[in-house]
Amino acid sequence: MVNAHDLLWGMTPAHVPADAPAWVLEALGAGQPVVVRRAIAQPGQVAVGVRGRLREQRFAAQMPLALVRRRVTPQALREVTSPRDLPALQALAQLRPLLAQKDWGVSGSAGFELATGIEALHDASDLDLILRTPEPLERRDAGDLLAILDTAVCAVDLQLQTPFGAVALREWAGSSRRVLLKTASGAHLVIDPWQALV
Amino acid sequence: METLSFEFPAGQPPKGRALVGCVGSGDLEVLLEPGTPGILSIQVQTSVNGAEQRWQHLFERIFQEHTPPALNIDIHDFGATPGVVRLRLEQGFEEIGHD
Repeated sequence: MVNAHDLLWGMTPAHVPADAPAWVLEALGAGQPVVVRRAIAQPGQVAVGVRGRLREQRFAAQMPLALVRRRVTPQALREVTSPRDLPALQALAQLRPLLAQKDWGVSGSAGFELATGIEALHDASDLDLILRTPEPLERRDAGDLLAILDTAVCAVDLQLQTPFGAVALREWAGSSRRVLLKTASGAHLVIDPWQALV
Repeated sequence: METLSFEFPAGQPPKGRALVGCVGSGDLEVLLEPGTPGILSIQVQTSVNGAEQRWQHLFERIFQEHTPPALNIDIHDFGATPGVVRLRLEQGFEEIGHD
């Protein structure tokens, strides 16, 4: 079982279409992991994204599950530290003790860098986090959690992982009646992210 | 980072303003404010370069369904998919309608 934001190793240039951009073949050829996407894949496959060095370099692909040699979840990266001194990594060090009681993890550029040692973060990078919330999180409690994250030295984007998809903590803590739930079948505006879509 | 401008025919301006969406990858923030009668003016600030045609086509598809109100719309895009852009605009129109 894999989840969105997991990093998977084992995909090679042979597993992407021949017309994929050169940077995709380069990244896979160098043995870089791919990131699990929230999308529907064919049986035996998982929807993944290949990261390039530039922000707009993101390539959607499918990876046969049989190829997975190694898997690192965002949760497994919580205690990983880095010798680099960047705002996103400072924010992570700041928040680590404050989130200790929760089922949280590191995703995005920070997660990729901590898992691979490849420099993906820069000075202006946000810190991307996930929080597993199998049970509903009250909107007021979301506000309290957001207030804690907003004490960090850089912007923190935390995505709540409900049983049905992902919703931004910042939006759930806000005043908008409907919020954007990202699911494997696409994005939906919903009132309750912990309720199955009909 | 790139800033794009678009204009479409519109109806009358609404009274209220609305802010929907979120700053964060795969999402966008949309500010809708009353504009000049007859004109829908959109500014897009996006982290994804070279996508002007894609935005133009997406807006055309959305606004051909029904004439939008006269608005100034400011979009801060963080690599949202067309589906998300459409939902956020729909949400913004809905919130403006509620004022």
